[in-house]
Amino acid sequence: MKLVPSVLEFNLTEVEKRIRRFIKEYVEKAGADGIVLGISGGIDSGTVAALSSLSIGGDKVIGLILPEEETYNSQDIYDAKLIAKKFGFKTQICDITPVLESFYKTISIFDEEDRLCKGNIKARTRMIYLYYYANKLNMIVCGSSDKSETMMGYFTKWGDAAADIAPLMDLYKTQVRKLAEYLGFPAELAAKPSTPALWPDQTAETELGIKYDVLDLILFGLERFMTPKEISQQLKIQKSLVEKIKIRWLSTEHKRRLPLTLKIEYRTVGADFRLPRHNY
Amino acid sequence: MKKEIKLALAQISSKRENKKENLHKIEKLAVKAKEQDADLVIFPELSLTGYVLHDQIYELAEIIPGPSTKKIEELAEKTGMHIIFGMPERSEKTRATIYNTAVFVGPNGFIGKYRKMYLPTHSVFEEKRYFRLGYRPAVFHTPVGNIGIFICYDIFFPEVFRLTRLKGAELMVCISASPAVRRSYFEILTAARALENTAFLAYVNLAGVEDGLQFWGGSRLVGPTGDLLAKAKYDEEDVVLSVVDYSDLRHVETFIPTLRDLRPELFDELKKYSETL
Repeated sequence: MKLVPSVLEFNLTEVEKRIRRFIKEYVEKAGADGIVLGISGGIDSGTVAALSSLSIGGDKVIGLILPEEETYNSQDIYDAKLIAKKFGFKTQICDITPVLESFYKTISIFDEEDRLCKGNIKARTRMIYLYYYANKLNMIVCGSSDKSETMMGYFTKWGDAAADIAPLMDLYKTQVRKLAEYLGFPAELAAKPSTPALWPDQTAETELGIKYDVLDLILFGLERFMTPKEISQQLKIQKSLVEKIKIRWLSTEHKRRLPLTLKIEYRTVGADFRLPRHNY
Repeated sequence: MKKEIKLALAQISSKRENKKENLHKIEKLAVKAKEQDADLVIFPELSLTGYVLHDQIYELAEIIPGPSTKKIEELAEKTGMHIIFGMPERSEKTRATIYNTAVFVGPNGFIGKYRKMYLPTHSVFEEKRYFRLGYRPAVFHTPVGNIGIFICYDIFFPEVFRLTRLKGAELMVCISASPAVRRSYFEILTAARALENTAFLAYVNLAGVEDGLQFWGGSRLVGPTGDLLAKAKYDEEDVVLSVVDYSDLRHVETFIPTLRDLRPELFDELKKYSETL
């Protein structure tokens, strides 16, 4: 297999159709009245919001804009509203700053300098808002995780990845960008640098230390059982970089699973208790 | 045996774990197919229960003949039609040995069954965890034709189709629960199995979504030269009727004489090499 950018090409029409069908059927079978999702102004959440609107109608989709003081970015809010207008879904802004400040004040071991631990509070707080709306309005939470960040474990456990469905989770970031353009997103929005907005000026590519167009090819190779040696030779990059990516992927499996328990009884949750999802 | 039959490809979306509702749907569509003069109506793999069942399958599997097949037998008798459908079959001798089975009934009752021989256990499939392999290819000589039955992944194995053809099957019926990511394989293989065996092939797939698996529908009747004679919609429920004219086989067999040109001596070698893979 040749690891060239074209391996990430896919049938956009078909995939759009399949995702829309997936969302629509899930909402119907769950007996939900709609979808609530966090909308950051970034490409993943914008794409999934657009697809949700196209699937079940914008009047049944609520995009929550959840800014906070430290990472506040008026351009992001403008972009989120632009996407909402284009695809016809509602938005609501909830400033989560006071809630975050309460956390910071009441956690006795809180460390202002530890930006990762602090940032994770933001992602988990956003999750609480989303699930409150979902609970209250009989909606489901639709997540916007893509395959690149999910494989990398580049998300907050029980935070931004917490959702009932994640329609983009089998598409790499560069594929999501293509899908966004196909759906009619302006090119500059589709190419906008991705950020989890946990601290000011944070960007995913800087933090991961690699551009998504290379990362996605590495992950594509790993997905197809290629060795780091084969991948590095083909992409003409250091083998150590591929090995680093592979270790990060494998070592974050705990973030993609239910909590581990030990085998004591006959059938065990998360292990050999295998049941269909009744709502779907 | 009729020289020409009309068959209905009944591409349904099953309600998971709800045999009552699925039986009702099967009945409704069979009656409708009869109104359009169908002789044979075919429903997908595990259409009685849905496909993604995991551990719930132990509650749903039934012996065959059993309560559900009895109802389909009554339906066949009432409509005067032949019916093929899929269900999980529990062994009569044990309590947790299950087969992925296709059931064939006619106006005079139960005709027979086929237990899936090739159980996919890769990617998203875990059939060997739940099912025991079937051991016998199935050919039924009936008033609606000499019919071979297969289930889904079987279609990747030309030898079982060839064997069934050599046992006299002229209409290959393949019931399926194939997810969308594999659509192109089945579109190729349905044409290939029909053409290489110079036989008709009716492929009936599930529609709908179960646990993220999107069944692509696309049921079809393929002629003995690989031509698409009828095709149901992709993804959605659909029922399509088409005619099988068995007299076509004679001129096709002379034009593409794959059966005349068989080389039996290769089969011993095939056996030898497949045993030592």
